[in-house]
Amino acid sequence: MSEKLKQLYQELILQHHRHPVHFEKREDAGAVIEAYNPICGDRFQLYLDMADEKIARISFYGYGCAISKAATSVLVSQMDGQGVIQAAQTIERFLHALQSTEENPILENELAAFLPARQFPERMQCVTLSWEALKTFLAGY
Amino acid sequence: MAVAVHEKKQVLDMAALRKDFPILERPMNGRPMVFLDSAASSQKPISVLQTLDHYYRHTHANVHRGVYQLSQEATDAFEAARRTIARFIHAPTDKEVLFVRGTTEGINLVASSYGRSFLQPGDEILISTMEHHSNIVPWQMIAEQMGARIKVWPITPAGELIWEAADELMGPKVKIVAITHISNALGTINPVKDIIELAHSRGIPVLLDGAQAIPHLKVDVQALDVDFYTFSGHKMFGPTGIGILYGKEKWLDQMPPYHGGGEMIERVTFEKTTYNELPHKFEAGTPDISGAVGLAAAVDYMESIGHEAIGQHEHALLEYATEQLLGIDGLRIIGTAAQKASVISFMVEGLHPYDIGALLDKMGIAVRTGHHCTQPLMDWYGIPGTVRASFAFYNSFEDVERLVEGVKRAVQMLA
Repeated sequence: MSEKLKQLYQELILQHHRHPVHFEKREDAGAVIEAYNPICGDRFQLYLDMADEKIARISFYGYGCAISKAATSVLVSQMDGQGVIQAAQTIERFLHALQSTEENPILENELAAFLPARQFPERMQCVTLSWEALKTFLAGY
Repeated sequence: MAVAVHEKKQVLDMAALRKDFPILERPMNGRPMVFLDSAASSQKPISVLQTLDHYYRHTHANVHRGVYQLSQEATDAFEAARRTIARFIHAPTDKEVLFVRGTTEGINLVASSYGRSFLQPGDEILISTMEHHSNIVPWQMIAEQMGARIKVWPITPAGELIWEAADELMGPKVKIVAITHISNALGTINPVKDIIELAHSRGIPVLLDGAQAIPHLKVDVQALDVDFYTFSGHKMFGPTGIGILYGKEKWLDQMPPYHGGGEMIERVTFEKTTYNELPHKFEAGTPDISGAVGLAAAVDYMESIGHEAIGQHEHALLEYATEQLLGIDGLRIIGTAAQKASVISFMVEGLHPYDIGALLDKMGIAVRTGHHCTQPLMDWYGIPGTVRASFAFYNSFEDVERLVEGVKRAVQMLA
Protein backbone atom coordinates (compact mmCIF):
# COMPACT_ATOMS: atom_id res chain seq x y z
CA MET A 1 0.00 0.00 0.00
CA SER A 2 1.40 3.40 -0.92
CA GLU A 3 2.36 5.93 1.76
CA LYS A 4 0.11 8.53 0.13
CA LEU A 5 -2.86 6.24 0.47
CA LYS A 6 -2.06 5.41 4.08
CA GLN A 7 -2.13 9.14 4.79
CA LEU A 8 -5.52 9.47 3.15
CA TYR A 9 -6.90 6.58 5.17
CA GLN A 10 -5.10 7.62 8.37
CA GLU A 11 -6.21 6.43 11.76
CA LEU A 12 -8.06 9.63 12.71
CA ILE A 13 -10.21 9.30 9.61
CA LEU A 14 -10.79 5.58 10.07
CA GLN A 15 -11.81 6.22 13.69
CA HIS A 16 -14.45 8.75 12.58
CA HIS A 17 -15.61 6.29 9.90
CA ARG A 18 -15.98 3.47 12.43
CA HIS A 19 -17.37 5.62 15.24
CA PRO A 20 -18.95 8.73 13.74
CA VAL A 21 -19.85 11.65 16.02
CA HIS A 22 -23.55 12.48 16.59
CA PHE A 23 -24.64 9.81 14.12
CA GLU A 24 -28.41 9.89 14.57
CA LYS A 25 -31.58 10.59 12.65
CA ARG A 26 -33.80 13.26 14.21
CA GLU A 27 -37.44 13.59 13.23
CA ASP A 28 -37.83 16.77 15.30
CA ALA A 29 -34.84 18.72 13.93
CA GLY A 30 -35.45 22.37 13.04
CA ALA A 31 -33.75 21.95 9.66
CA VAL A 32 -32.67 18.99 7.57
CA ILE A 33 -30.01 19.46 4.89
CA GLU A 34 -29.30 16.83 2.29
CA ALA A 35 -25.77 16.28 1.00
CA TYR A 36 -25.99 14.05 -2.06
CA ASN A 37 -23.44 13.06 -4.67
CA PRO A 38 -25.32 11.55 -7.64
CA ILE A 39 -22.10 10.24 -9.16
CA CYS A 40 -21.20 7.87 -6.35
CA GLY A 41 -24.56 7.72 -4.55
CA ASP A 42 -23.28 9.01 -1.21
CA ARG A 43 -26.09 10.62 0.70
CA PHE A 44 -26.13 12.22 4.16
CA GLN A 45 -28.75 14.17 6.05
CA LEU A 46 -27.59 16.85 8.45
CA TYR A 47 -30.07 17.61 11.26
CA LEU A 48 -29.80 21.07 12.80
CA ASP A 49 -31.43 23.15 15.49
CA MET A 50 -30.60 26.82 15.13
CA ALA A 51 -30.99 29.19 18.10
CA ASP A 52 -29.60 32.66 18.90
CA GLU A 53 -27.56 32.81 15.68
CA LYS A 54 -25.92 29.56 16.71
CA ILE A 55 -25.92 25.93 15.64
CA ALA A 56 -27.45 24.75 18.90
CA ARG A 57 -27.49 21.11 17.91
CA ILE A 58 -26.28 19.13 14.91
CA SER A 59 -26.26 15.45 13.99
CA PHE A 60 -26.12 13.42 10.79
CA TYR A 61 -27.20 10.16 9.25
CA GLY A 62 -26.69 8.46 5.92
CA TYR A 63 -24.40 6.42 3.78
CA GLY A 64 -21.08 7.15 2.17
CA CYS A 65 -17.49 6.05 1.81
CA ALA A 66 -15.06 6.17 4.72
CA ILE A 67 -13.73 9.56 3.60
CA SER A 68 -17.10 11.26 3.15
CA LYS A 69 -18.48 9.76 6.35
CA ALA A 70 -15.42 10.81 8.37
CA ALA A 71 -15.48 14.30 6.83
CA THR A 72 -19.14 14.65 7.80
CA SER A 73 -18.43 13.36 11.29
CA VAL A 74 -15.63 15.91 11.73
CA LEU A 75 -17.89 18.63 10.35
CA VAL A 76 -20.55 17.81 12.90
CA SER A 77 -18.06 17.68 15.77
CA GLN A 78 -16.59 21.05 14.73
CA MET A 79 -19.91 22.81 14.19
CA ASP A 80 -21.74 21.78 17.32
CA GLY A 81 -22.46 24.93 19.31
CA GLN A 82 -20.71 27.32 16.93
CA GLY A 83 -22.11 30.73 15.98
CA VAL A 84 -23.28 31.08 12.39
CA ILE A 85 -20.52 33.48 11.39
CA GLN A 86 -17.81 31.49 13.10
CA ALA A 87 -19.13 28.27 11.52
CA ALA A 88 -19.11 29.80 8.05
CA GLN A 89 -15.54 31.00 8.60
CA THR A 90 -14.36 27.54 9.70
CA ILE A 91 -15.93 25.98 6.60
CA GLU A 92 -14.37 28.60 4.37
CA ARG A 93 -10.96 28.12 5.97
CA PHE A 94 -11.17 24.34 5.53
CA LEU A 95 -12.34 24.45 1.91
CA HIS A 96 -9.67 27.04 1.12
CA ALA A 97 -6.92 24.91 2.66
CA LEU A 98 -8.03 21.94 0.55
CA GLN A 99 -7.64 24.07 -2.58
CA SER A 100 -4.27 25.53 -1.62
CA THR A 101 -0.88 24.07 -2.43
CA GLU A 102 0.58 25.36 0.85
CA GLU A 103 2.34 22.48 2.57
CA ASN A 104 1.06 22.94 6.11
CA PRO A 105 -1.81 25.41 6.27
CA ILE A 106 -2.84 26.19 9.85
CA LEU A 107 -5.77 23.98 10.70
CA GLU A 108 -7.16 22.09 13.66
CA ASN A 109 -5.76 18.53 13.75
CA GLU A 110 -9.09 16.98 12.83
CA LEU A 111 -9.30 19.16 9.72
CA ALA A 112 -5.66 18.80 8.76
CA ALA A 113 -6.19 15.03 8.62
CA PHE A 114 -8.00 15.55 5.30
CA LEU A 115 -5.19 17.47 3.59
CA PRO A 116 -3.72 14.30 2.02
CA ALA A 117 -6.88 14.17 -0.10
CA ARG A 118 -5.22 16.95 -2.11
CA GLN A 119 -3.14 14.13 -3.64
CA PHE A 120 -6.36 12.38 -4.75
CA PRO A 121 -8.40 14.85 -6.80
CA GLU A 122 -11.06 12.19 -7.46
CA ARG A 123 -11.67 11.89 -3.70
CA MET A 124 -11.90 15.62 -2.99
CA GLN A 125 -15.67 15.56 -3.48
CA CYS A 126 -15.90 12.92 -0.75
CA VAL A 127 -14.27 15.35 1.70
CA THR A 128 -16.25 18.43 0.73
CA LEU A 129 -19.72 16.92 0.16
CA SER A 130 -21.31 17.75 3.53
CA TRP A 131 -19.17 20.85 4.08
CA GLU A 132 -20.43 22.42 0.88
CA ALA A 133 -24.02 21.54 1.77
CA LEU A 134 -23.76 23.22 5.17
CA LYS A 135 -21.98 26.20 3.62
CA THR A 136 -24.92 26.71 1.23
CA PHE A 137 -27.39 26.42 4.09
CA LEU A 138 -25.55 28.93 6.27
CA ALA A 139 -25.20 31.39 3.40
CA GLY A 140 -28.97 31.45 3.09
CA TYR A 141 -29.62 31.58 6.81
CA MET B 1 -17.14 -23.17 5.29
CA ALA B 2 -15.41 -25.99 3.47
CA VAL B 3 -14.10 -24.66 0.20
CA ALA B 4 -13.42 -27.06 -2.61
CA VAL B 5 -10.85 -25.41 -4.84
CA HIS B 6 -11.94 -25.42 -8.43
CA GLU B 7 -9.57 -26.80 -10.92
CA LYS B 8 -7.82 -23.89 -12.65
CA LYS B 9 -8.47 -25.33 -16.06
CA GLN B 10 -6.21 -23.64 -18.59
CA VAL B 11 -7.68 -23.71 -22.07
CA LEU B 12 -5.82 -20.70 -23.51
CA ASP B 13 -2.13 -19.98 -23.90
CA MET B 14 -2.27 -16.99 -21.55
CA ALA B 15 1.34 -15.89 -21.89
CA ALA B 16 1.07 -15.62 -25.66
CA LEU B 17 -2.43 -14.16 -25.61
CA ARG B 18 -1.60 -11.42 -23.10
CA LYS B 19 1.28 -10.31 -25.30
CA ASP B 20 -1.35 -9.34 -27.87
CA PHE B 21 -2.58 -6.65 -25.44
CA PRO B 22 0.37 -4.29 -24.82
CA ILE B 23 -1.52 -2.22 -22.21
CA LEU B 24 -1.68 -5.24 -19.90
CA GLU B 25 2.09 -5.03 -19.54
CA ARG B 26 2.12 -1.55 -18.07
CA PRO B 27 2.60 -1.26 -14.34
CA MET B 28 -0.05 0.45 -12.23
CA ASN B 29 0.85 2.11 -8.95
CA GLY B 30 4.05 0.13 -8.78
CA ARG B 31 2.49 -3.28 -9.42
CA PRO B 32 1.74 -5.25 -12.57
CA MET B 33 -1.72 -4.06 -13.60
CA VAL B 34 -4.75 -6.29 -13.06
CA PHE B 35 -7.49 -4.99 -15.33
CA LEU B 36 -10.92 -6.16 -14.19
CA ASP B 37 -13.16 -3.59 -15.85
CA SER B 38 -13.67 -5.02 -19.31
CA ALA B 39 -17.44 -4.83 -18.89
CA ALA B 40 -17.02 -1.05 -18.97
CA SER B 41 -14.54 -1.11 -21.84
CA SER B 42 -12.18 -3.80 -23.02
CA GLN B 43 -8.54 -3.45 -24.01
CA LYS B 44 -7.40 -3.70 -27.64
CA PRO B 45 -5.17 -6.28 -29.29
CA ILE B 46 -2.21 -5.20 -31.42
CA SER B 47 -3.98 -6.37 -34.58
CA VAL B 48 -6.72 -3.76 -34.02
CA LEU B 49 -4.16 -1.03 -33.35
CA GLN B 50 -2.23 -1.98 -36.46
CA THR B 51 -5.36 -2.04 -38.57
CA LEU B 52 -6.27 1.49 -37.46
CA ASP B 53 -2.74 2.69 -38.13
CA HIS B 54 -2.63 1.04 -41.53
CA TYR B 55 -6.02 2.40 -42.50
CA TYR B 56 -5.02 5.99 -41.76
CA ARG B 57 -1.56 5.64 -43.32
CA HIS B 58 -2.68 4.01 -46.54
CA THR B 59 -6.41 3.92 -47.18
CA HIS B 60 -8.23 6.92 -45.75
CA ALA B 61 -10.57 9.12 -47.76
CA ASN B 62 -14.28 9.78 -47.44
CA VAL B 63 -16.56 6.90 -48.40
CA HIS B 64 -19.32 6.62 -51.02
CA ARG B 65 -18.24 9.97 -52.46
CA GLY B 66 -15.28 10.14 -54.73
CA VAL B 67 -14.59 8.89 -58.21
CA TYR B 68 -10.95 8.58 -57.32
CA GLN B 69 -9.28 5.34 -56.35
CA LEU B 70 -8.45 6.17 -52.74
CA SER B 71 -12.09 6.91 -51.93
CA GLN B 72 -13.05 3.65 -53.58
CA GLU B 73 -10.51 1.78 -51.46
CA ALA B 74 -11.81 3.39 -48.28
CA THR B 75 -15.38 2.51 -49.31
CA ASP B 76 -14.33 -1.07 -50.02
CA ALA B 77 -12.66 -1.35 -46.62
CA PHE B 78 -15.72 0.12 -44.89
CA GLU B 79 -18.19 -2.16 -46.68
CA ALA B 80 -15.93 -5.19 -46.21
CA ALA B 81 -16.04 -4.43 -42.48
CA ARG B 82 -19.83 -4.44 -42.63
CA ARG B 83 -19.77 -7.85 -44.32
CA THR B 84 -17.36 -9.22 -41.72
CA ILE B 85 -19.67 -8.11 -38.94
CA ALA B 86 -22.76 -9.41 -40.76
CA ARG B 87 -21.07 -12.80 -40.99
CA PHE B 88 -19.98 -12.60 -37.33
CA ILE B 89 -23.57 -12.21 -36.09
CA HIS B 90 -24.95 -14.34 -38.92
CA ALA B 91 -27.13 -11.57 -40.36
CA PRO B 92 -28.93 -12.72 -43.52
CA THR B 93 -27.84 -9.59 -45.41
CA ASP B 94 -25.41 -6.77 -44.70
CA LYS B 95 -28.21 -4.28 -45.49
CA GLU B 96 -29.52 -5.08 -42.02
CA VAL B 97 -26.23 -4.17 -40.33
CA LEU B 98 -26.09 -0.47 -39.45
CA PHE B 99 -23.05 1.31 -38.14
CA VAL B 100 -23.85 3.43 -35.10
CA ARG B 101 -21.70 5.01 -32.39
CA GLY B 102 -22.45 2.27 -29.88
CA THR B 103 -25.21 0.45 -28.04
CA THR B 104 -26.61 3.68 -26.64
CA GLU B 105 -27.10 5.12 -30.10
CA GLY B 106 -28.50 1.82 -31.38
CA ILE B 107 -31.22 1.85 -28.72
CA ASN B 108 -31.94 5.54 -29.21
CA LEU B 109 -32.31 4.96 -32.94
CA VAL B 110 -34.85 2.18 -32.47
CA ALA B 111 -36.70 3.97 -29.66
CA SER B 112 -37.02 7.11 -31.75
CA SER B 113 -37.66 5.69 -35.22
CA TYR B 114 -39.67 2.60 -34.32
CA GLY B 115 -41.43 4.59 -31.61
CA ARG B 116 -42.53 7.39 -33.94
CA SER B 117 -43.90 4.85 -36.43
CA PHE B 118 -45.53 2.29 -34.20
CA LEU B 119 -46.40 3.74 -30.79
CA GLN B 120 -49.87 5.08 -30.03
CA PRO B 121 -51.13 6.71 -26.85
CA GLY B 122 -51.72 4.02 -24.25
CA ASP B 123 -49.26 1.55 -25.79
CA GLU B 124 -46.68 -0.14 -23.62
CA ILE B 125 -42.93 -0.76 -23.81
CA LEU B 126 -41.68 -3.73 -21.80
CA ILE B 127 -38.21 -3.47 -20.25
CA SER B 128 -36.78 -5.17 -17.14
CA THR B 129 -35.56 -4.21 -13.68
CA MET B 130 -31.96 -4.99 -14.63
CA GLU B 131 -31.66 -2.60 -17.58
CA HIS B 132 -28.75 -0.20 -18.03
CA HIS B 133 -29.83 3.47 -18.10
CA SER B 134 -29.28 3.39 -21.87
CA ASN B 135 -32.11 0.86 -22.21
CA ILE B 136 -34.42 2.86 -19.94
CA VAL B 137 -34.03 6.55 -20.71
CA PRO B 138 -34.49 6.41 -24.54
CA TRP B 139 -37.75 4.52 -24.00
CA GLN B 140 -38.92 7.02 -21.39
CA MET B 141 -38.22 9.85 -23.82
CA ILE B 142 -40.22 8.32 -26.68
CA ALA B 143 -42.96 7.14 -24.29
CA GLU B 144 -43.45 10.69 -23.11
CA GLN B 145 -43.53 11.97 -26.67
CA MET B 146 -46.03 9.37 -27.91
CA GLY B 147 -48.15 9.00 -24.77
CA ALA B 148 -46.98 5.43 -24.23
CA ARG B 149 -45.83 3.94 -20.95
CA ILE B 150 -43.01 1.77 -19.64
CA LYS B 151 -43.69 -1.59 -18.00
CA VAL B 152 -40.96 -3.25 -15.96
CA TRP B 153 -40.39 -7.01 -15.87
CA PRO B 154 -39.53 -7.89 -12.25
CA ILE B 155 -36.60 -10.06 -11.12
CA THR B 156 -35.88 -12.51 -8.33
CA PRO B 157 -33.33 -11.71 -5.59
CA ALA B 158 -30.84 -13.87 -7.51
CA GLY B 159 -31.18 -11.45 -10.42
CA GLU B 160 -33.23 -13.55 -12.83
CA LEU B 161 -36.34 -12.43 -14.68
CA ILE B 162 -39.48 -13.85 -13.07
CA TRP B 163 -40.58 -16.02 -15.97
CA GLU B 164 -44.07 -16.61 -14.55
CA ALA B 165 -44.72 -12.87 -14.95
CA ALA B 166 -44.03 -12.93 -18.70
CA ASP B 167 -47.46 -14.12 -19.80
CA GLU B 168 -49.29 -11.28 -18.13
CA LEU B 169 -46.65 -8.65 -18.92
CA MET B 170 -46.80 -9.22 -22.67
CA GLY B 171 -50.35 -7.99 -22.99
CA PRO B 172 -52.05 -6.64 -26.13
CA LYS B 173 -50.81 -3.08 -25.57
CA VAL B 174 -47.12 -4.02 -25.58
CA LYS B 175 -45.57 -2.81 -28.84
CA ILE B 176 -41.93 -3.69 -28.17
CA VAL B 177 -39.87 -5.67 -25.67
CA ALA B 178 -36.42 -4.21 -24.94
CA ILE B 179 -34.26 -6.40 -22.73
CA THR B 180 -30.60 -6.83 -22.05
CA HIS B 181 -29.01 -10.06 -23.26
CA ILE B 182 -26.57 -10.04 -20.31
CA SER B 183 -26.83 -7.73 -17.30
CA ASN B 184 -23.80 -5.46 -16.91
CA ALA B 185 -24.27 -5.17 -13.15
CA LEU B 186 -25.26 -8.74 -12.26
CA GLY B 187 -23.86 -10.89 -15.05
CA THR B 188 -27.22 -12.62 -15.57
CA ILE B 189 -27.62 -14.22 -18.99
CA ASN B 190 -31.28 -13.81 -19.85
CA PRO B 191 -33.28 -16.55 -21.62
CA VAL B 192 -33.54 -14.40 -24.71
CA LYS B 193 -34.59 -17.12 -27.13
CA ASP B 194 -37.60 -17.96 -24.96
CA ILE B 195 -38.43 -14.27 -24.56
CA ILE B 196 -38.35 -13.73 -28.31
CA GLU B 197 -40.47 -16.82 -28.98
CA LEU B 198 -43.11 -15.71 -26.52
CA ALA B 199 -43.11 -12.11 -27.78
CA HIS B 200 -43.36 -13.23 -31.40
CA SER B 201 -46.27 -15.53 -30.59
CA ARG B 202 -48.06 -12.29 -29.73
CA GLY B 203 -46.73 -10.30 -32.65
CA ILE B 204 -44.38 -8.18 -30.50
CA PRO B 205 -40.87 -7.37 -31.80
CA VAL B 206 -37.87 -7.64 -29.48
CA LEU B 207 -34.76 -5.50 -29.11
CA LEU B 208 -31.80 -7.02 -27.31
CA ASP B 209 -29.10 -4.89 -25.71
CA GLY B 210 -26.10 -6.99 -26.63
CA ALA B 211 -23.37 -4.75 -25.19
CA GLN B 212 -22.35 -7.27 -22.53
CA ALA B 213 -23.10 -10.42 -24.53
CA ILE B 214 -21.06 -9.82 -27.66
CA PRO B 215 -17.63 -10.03 -25.94
CA HIS B 216 -18.54 -13.38 -24.38
CA LEU B 217 -21.03 -15.36 -26.46
CA LYS B 218 -21.59 -16.42 -30.03
CA VAL B 219 -24.50 -14.29 -31.18
CA ASP B 220 -26.56 -15.56 -34.11
CA VAL B 221 -29.33 -13.11 -34.94
CA GLN B 222 -31.09 -15.58 -37.22
CA ALA B 223 -31.08 -18.41 -34.69
CA LEU B 224 -32.42 -15.96 -32.11
CA ASP B 225 -34.89 -14.56 -34.67
CA VAL B 226 -34.33 -11.23 -32.91
CA ASP B 227 -35.79 -8.06 -34.44
CA PHE B 228 -33.10 -5.63 -33.24
CA TYR B 229 -29.71 -6.43 -31.74
CA THR B 230 -27.25 -3.73 -30.79
CA PHE B 231 -23.74 -3.69 -29.35
CA SER B 232 -20.61 -1.55 -28.94
CA GLY B 233 -17.23 -2.09 -30.56
CA HIS B 234 -15.19 -0.96 -27.58
CA LYS B 235 -16.53 -3.68 -25.31
CA MET B 236 -15.51 -6.37 -27.82
CA PHE B 237 -11.84 -5.38 -28.19
CA GLY B 238 -12.51 -2.85 -30.96
CA PRO B 239 -12.25 0.95 -31.01
CA THR B 240 -14.49 3.38 -29.14
CA GLY B 241 -17.08 5.34 -31.11
CA ILE B 242 -18.31 2.48 -33.28
CA GLY B 243 -21.11 0.02 -32.72
CA ILE B 244 -23.69 -2.02 -34.56
CA LEU B 245 -27.43 -2.03 -34.79
CA TYR B 246 -28.76 -5.12 -36.49
CA GLY B 247 -32.41 -4.72 -37.52
CA LYS B 248 -34.73 -6.85 -39.60
CA GLU B 249 -35.34 -5.29 -42.96
CA LYS B 250 -39.11 -5.52 -42.53
CA TRP B 251 -38.89 -3.12 -39.58
CA LEU B 252 -36.11 -0.86 -40.84
CA ASP B 253 -38.03 -0.33 -44.09
CA GLN B 254 -41.02 0.96 -42.17
CA MET B 255 -39.02 3.23 -39.88
CA PRO B 256 -38.17 6.87 -40.66
CA PRO B 257 -34.50 7.96 -40.64
CA TYR B 258 -33.04 8.86 -37.28
CA HIS B 259 -30.60 11.56 -38.36
CA GLY B 260 -30.78 13.69 -41.48
CA GLY B 261 -27.80 14.69 -43.58
CA GLY B 262 -25.53 13.47 -46.31
CA GLU B 263 -25.29 9.84 -47.36
CA MET B 264 -28.81 8.97 -46.13
CA ILE B 265 -30.53 10.71 -49.05
CA GLU B 266 -31.55 9.64 -52.52
CA ARG B 267 -32.58 13.06 -53.78
CA VAL B 268 -32.87 16.40 -52.00
CA THR B 269 -34.80 19.47 -53.06
CA PHE B 270 -35.90 22.28 -50.77
CA GLU B 271 -39.43 20.93 -50.97
CA LYS B 272 -38.85 17.25 -50.37
CA THR B 273 -36.17 14.65 -49.78
CA THR B 274 -36.32 11.00 -50.66
CA TYR B 275 -34.18 8.63 -48.67
CA ASN B 276 -31.42 6.29 -49.63
CA GLU B 277 -31.86 2.53 -49.32
CA LEU B 278 -30.72 0.40 -46.40
CA PRO B 279 -28.36 0.55 -44.64
CA HIS B 280 -27.46 4.09 -45.75
CA LYS B 281 -30.88 5.51 -44.81
CA PHE B 282 -29.76 5.30 -41.18
CA GLU B 283 -26.18 6.44 -41.66
CA ALA B 284 -26.27 10.20 -42.08
CA GLY B 285 -22.97 12.00 -42.37
CA THR B 286 -19.44 10.70 -42.73
CA PRO B 287 -19.34 7.47 -40.72
CA ASP B 288 -16.61 6.32 -38.36
CA ILE B 289 -14.73 4.56 -41.15
CA SER B 290 -11.62 3.70 -39.17
CA GLY B 291 -13.81 2.51 -36.31
CA ALA B 292 -15.66 0.14 -38.64
CA VAL B 293 -12.42 -1.22 -40.07
CA GLY B 294 -11.00 -1.58 -36.55
CA LEU B 295 -14.14 -3.36 -35.38
CA ALA B 296 -13.80 -5.89 -38.20
CA ALA B 297 -10.20 -6.51 -37.05
CA ALA B 298 -11.54 -7.13 -33.53
CA VAL B 299 -14.00 -9.66 -34.97
CA ASP B 300 -11.13 -11.42 -36.75
CA TYR B 301 -9.16 -11.47 -33.51
CA MET B 302 -12.04 -12.93 -31.49
CA GLU B 303 -12.62 -15.57 -34.14
CA SER B 304 -8.94 -16.50 -34.09
CA ILE B 305 -9.32 -17.41 -30.42
CA GLY B 306 -12.75 -18.92 -30.84
CA HIS B 307 -15.95 -18.52 -28.89
CA GLU B 308 -15.72 -21.94 -27.37
CA ALA B 309 -12.30 -21.33 -25.82
CA ILE B 310 -13.34 -17.85 -24.68
CA GLY B 311 -16.45 -19.27 -23.04
CA GLN B 312 -14.59 -22.08 -21.28
CA HIS B 313 -11.82 -19.86 -19.97
CA GLU B 314 -14.17 -17.16 -18.72
CA HIS B 315 -16.43 -19.69 -17.07
CA ALA B 316 -13.47 -21.19 -15.23
CA LEU B 317 -12.43 -17.69 -14.09
CA LEU B 318 -15.97 -16.95 -12.93
CA GLU B 319 -16.23 -20.14 -10.89
CA TYR B 320 -12.80 -19.72 -9.35
CA ALA B 321 -13.34 -16.04 -8.49
CA THR B 322 -16.81 -16.68 -7.08
CA GLU B 323 -15.54 -19.42 -4.82
CA GLN B 324 -12.47 -17.48 -3.66
CA LEU B 325 -14.37 -14.25 -3.00
CA LEU B 326 -17.06 -16.05 -1.01
CA GLY B 327 -14.30 -17.20 1.34
CA ILE B 328 -13.97 -13.59 2.57
CA ASP B 329 -15.99 -12.86 5.73
CA GLY B 330 -18.88 -10.48 5.17
CA LEU B 331 -18.61 -10.54 1.38
CA ARG B 332 -21.89 -10.89 -0.48
CA ILE B 333 -22.26 -11.38 -4.23
CA ILE B 334 -25.07 -9.40 -5.87
CA GLY B 335 -26.40 -11.41 -8.80
CA THR B 336 -26.36 -15.16 -8.39
CA ALA B 337 -28.28 -16.29 -11.45
CA ALA B 338 -27.80 -19.87 -12.62
CA GLN B 339 -26.65 -18.59 -16.03
CA LYS B 340 -23.99 -15.94 -15.60
CA ALA B 341 -21.28 -14.24 -17.64
CA SER B 342 -17.90 -13.48 -16.09
CA VAL B 343 -19.07 -10.47 -14.09
CA ILE B 344 -19.07 -10.42 -10.28
CA SER B 345 -20.70 -7.61 -8.33
CA PHE B 346 -20.11 -7.70 -4.61
CA MET B 347 -20.33 -5.81 -1.35
CA VAL B 348 -18.52 -6.26 1.91
CA GLU B 349 -20.48 -5.80 5.13
CA GLY B 350 -19.92 -2.31 6.56
CA LEU B 351 -17.65 -1.14 3.76
CA HIS B 352 -18.33 1.27 0.95
CA PRO B 353 -17.55 0.16 -2.63
CA TYR B 354 -15.58 3.37 -3.23
CA ASP B 355 -13.17 2.67 -0.40
CA ILE B 356 -12.56 -0.88 -1.59
CA GLY B 357 -12.11 0.34 -5.18
CA ALA B 358 -9.69 3.10 -4.14
CA LEU B 359 -7.54 0.70 -2.11
CA LEU B 360 -7.55 -1.91 -4.89
CA ASP B 361 -6.46 0.77 -7.35
CA LYS B 362 -3.41 1.52 -5.25
CA MET B 363 -2.57 -2.19 -5.37
CA GLY B 364 -2.70 -1.99 -9.17
CA ILE B 365 -6.14 -3.59 -9.52
CA ALA B 366 -8.75 -1.79 -11.64
CA VAL B 367 -12.39 -2.52 -10.76
CA ARG B 368 -15.56 -0.56 -11.24
CA THR B 369 -17.43 0.80 -8.23
CA GLY B 370 -20.81 2.48 -7.97
CA HIS B 371 -24.22 1.94 -9.50
CA HIS B 372 -22.97 0.79 -12.94
CA CYS B 373 -25.58 2.97 -14.69
CA THR B 374 -28.31 0.78 -13.20
CA GLN B 375 -29.76 2.99 -10.46
CA PRO B 376 -33.24 1.40 -10.55
CA LEU B 377 -31.64 -2.02 -10.10
CA MET B 378 -29.53 -0.81 -7.17
CA ASP B 379 -32.67 0.78 -5.64
CA TRP B 380 -34.44 -2.56 -6.07
CA TYR B 381 -31.69 -4.28 -4.10
CA GLY B 382 -31.69 -1.38 -1.62
CA ILE B 383 -27.97 -0.77 -2.07
CA PRO B 384 -26.09 2.33 -3.24
CA GLY B 385 -23.74 0.37 -5.47
CA THR B 386 -21.31 -2.51 -5.65
CA VAL B 387 -17.72 -3.32 -6.47
CA ARG B 388 -17.71 -5.03 -9.85
CA ALA B 389 -14.95 -7.23 -11.20
CA SER B 390 -15.48 -8.23 -14.81
CA PHE B 391 -13.27 -10.71 -16.62
CA ALA B 392 -12.33 -10.98 -20.27
CA PHE B 393 -10.47 -13.84 -21.92
CA TYR B 394 -7.15 -12.03 -21.35
CA ASN B 395 -7.59 -12.24 -17.58
CA SER B 396 -5.73 -14.98 -15.77
CA PHE B 397 -6.20 -17.02 -12.62
CA GLU B 398 -3.39 -14.90 -11.12
CA ASP B 399 -5.57 -11.83 -11.72
CA VAL B 400 -8.31 -13.49 -9.65
CA GLU B 401 -5.83 -14.25 -6.89
CA ARG B 402 -4.56 -10.67 -6.84
CA LEU B 403 -8.16 -9.45 -6.55
CA VAL B 404 -8.99 -11.76 -3.68
CA GLU B 405 -5.78 -10.86 -1.86
CA GLY B 406 -6.46 -7.16 -2.49
CA VAL B 407 -10.01 -7.31 -1.13
CA LYS B 408 -8.74 -9.12 1.97
CA ARG B 409 -6.16 -6.40 2.57
CA ALA B 410 -8.72 -3.63 2.01
CA VAL B 411 -11.10 -5.25 4.50
CA GLN B 412 -8.31 -5.61 7.02
CA MET B 413 -7.45 -1.95 6.70
CA LEU B 414 -10.96 -0.49 6.76
CA ALA B 415 -12.98 -2.72 9.02
